[in-house]
Amino acid sequence: MSREEPIPRFGHKPQVAFFDFACCEGCQLSVLQLEERLLEILGHVDVVTWREAMTEQSTEYDIAFCEGSVTTEEDVERIKRIREQADVLVTLGSCASGGCHNELKNQWSMDEVRRVVYGDAADTISTIPSRPVTAVVDADYRVFGCPVSLPEFMTVVNAMLTGQSHQPPNQPVCVECKLNDYVCVYEMGKVCLGPVTRCGCNAICTAYGDPCQGCRGLMDAANIPAMLKALKREQAHAIMCAVVQRHELSDDEIAAKLRIYNNWPEFDLKEAQPDDD
Amino acid sequence: MGRELVMTREGAQSFFGRLIEEGPVMGPRERISQPGFVMFDWLDSAGQLRLKYTTTTIPPKKAFFPPRQPLFEFESSQPPTITAVQEATAFTLVGVHPCDLAALEMLDDAYAQEPAEACWPAARARARVIGVDCLPDEYCFCFGFGTCYGREGADLFLTPIGRGYLVEVLTEAGGGMLRLSDVEDATDADREQAAAFRRAKSERMTASIDASPAEFADILEEDDFGELWREVASRCYSCGSCNTTCPTCFCFDIKDEFDLGLTGGRRIRSWDSCQLQEFALVAGGHNFRRIRWQRVRHRWHRKFLYLYRDFGRPYCTGCGRCSRACTADINIVDVSNEIIGRARGRA
Ligand code: SF4
Ligand code: SF4
Ligand code: SF4
Ligand code: SF4
Ligand code: SF4
Repeated sequence: MSREEPIPRFGHKPQVAFFDFACCEGCQLSVLQLEERLLEILGHVDVVTWREAMTEQSTEYDIAFCEGSVTTEEDVERIKRIREQADVLVTLGSCASGGCHNELKNQWSMDEVRRVVYGDAADTISTIPSRPVTAVVDADYRVFGCPVSLPEFMTVVNAMLTGQSHQPPNQPVCVECKLNDYVCVYEMGKVCLGPVTRCGCNAICTAYGDPCQGCRGLMDAANIPAMLKALKREQAHAIMCAVVQRHELSDDEIAAKLRIYNNWPEFDLKEAQPDDD
Repeated sequence: MGRELVMTREGAQSFFGRLIEEGPVMGPRERISQPGFVMFDWLDSAGQLRLKYTTTTIPPKKAFFPPRQPLFEFESSQPPTITAVQEATAFTLVGVHPCDLAALEMLDDAYAQEPAEACWPAARARARVIGVDCLPDEYCFCFGFGTCYGREGADLFLTPIGRGYLVEVLTEAGGGMLRLSDVEDATDADREQAAAFRRAKSERMTASIDASPAEFADILEEDDFGELWREVASRCYSCGSCNTTCPTCFCFDIKDEFDLGLTGGRRIRSWDSCQLQEFALVAGGHNFRRIRWQRVRHRWHRKFLYLYRDFGRPYCTGCGRCSRACTADINIVDVSNEIIGRARGRA
């Protein structure tokens, strides 16, 4: 249903721009997959800039959707300019909202990274440690996921258009997994990061019997030491024992698993605290 | 105990087939995409029913209170409208183990407390229940909790015997259902086989909590286990799986979902868990169980102390689902016995 009168919060039909930083642009692609629901949103806003979807561009906009990670000094300046222009800034996807695999490169020195990636041209390219948009500017709304979960995207758009705040969910994926009555993938012999990962995806991976890879990042107060113990077989019941015996994960492998999406800020397994006080 | 009859294996097949033709039936069935794992779900045919199963991840309470349940829909028109979402169809829930029957009765009591909850009794009134007896695995500990042989809330109860099932007719509605079936009178041999099944059930049960519910409540009331709660909490993810799989947990959260542009929406309630960090967060930002060990302790106090005092029975059936579901290996029997051991050691 489209709404003819302007959205109260803006006093006029707000203008929307999409921007991408270092990423795979999968989140924008997901948003385009909304299809009919996207048309519904377009009844409430005018899109003025969206490189992946249209040729027109504008420097005037009220709402900025920003996807990707900040990886150069130019990116830093660019995101600051966007923040200045936009009344509302929404980060799209884990790359922008909290950290994603772009931050994997931060484990090495930037010189080494440039040499490996650009070879002889290394000296002509500048790069800085990768960071989410939220590490540089404040975001009014954050949509997590790699890519974003579309139901959550709709919820955030709705909150934004009606001038309400939206708190990202702060429960583990296990909650959604159980409420959907899915089989725990540990029972199927797979190692799952669901117990420490922020939910909001409706446990889409475990729905298909795949383990959670943690793409939405750690929830607040994630009990990492417990996860390490579980994965290292120091604590495990019959079901878990069967799983971890099969996987025989070394410390490095466990760290690598947890690191895929959790390298911002610097992720230190040894520093992680078990309690949430 | 009511009348005892016998349904042969074939007789049971055709009985459940007719029951499904007659109206919606929920029961344990194998998952389509994950063979070998049984869940409670709506049945399309008698062939899907798995009356022999150890347990399910999510208990059968979901038949009466789905994990996510729309309460009403609203439109922000002038004047605004509210339409209650009301299921009215009668249904049958089959294959409920004695521990889960006991849990349904506990929820009847809990939801009847003032201010009484309306959806649960309405859903219960729509359903007939057929119980079935079972054999335990290493997580079950219903024997010491008196829920092992319970029949409360069942209209019919089936015990596996050689030629099929011994059928106990417990209510008029149960007797009524039997018009869909060919039953025979039970012989002494049938009764003896059923008794042997029940004996095997208790003999095979390996797990138990080492104190009576009354003693355990007293021990918890004296609570001096800060260290132990912290130990358990250091392993706990606060993932809530021990609550979301529990047949006696009754907490829920209510949220409104709006359609785009605030034109309308719906009010949804969903299962909640006291182990989640935000469970006890209240307006103003205060969280009265912010720290993990406080929440761990709360689960034990709630199940074995507060509700024991309120209702005269622990709000735990011994089904073991919480221990099976806990990927951190926090086992309700082990932790409880550790508490009991420490308390007795101190005394
Ligand atoms: S969050 Fe994932 S899907 Fe989205 S842009 Fe980043 S890498 Fe691509
Ligand atoms: S499959 Fe993963 S998310 Fe689901 S309950 Fe198991 S550990 Fe949690
Ligand atoms: S289950 Fe885990 S990996 Fe899959 S979408 Fe959700 S958070 Fe991402
Ligand atoms: S299931 Fe285990 S890890 Fe999860 S909240 Fe319960 S006790 Fe803690
Ligand atoms: S507390 Fe655990 S064992 Fe007791 S009824 Fe709940 S899930 Fe079953």
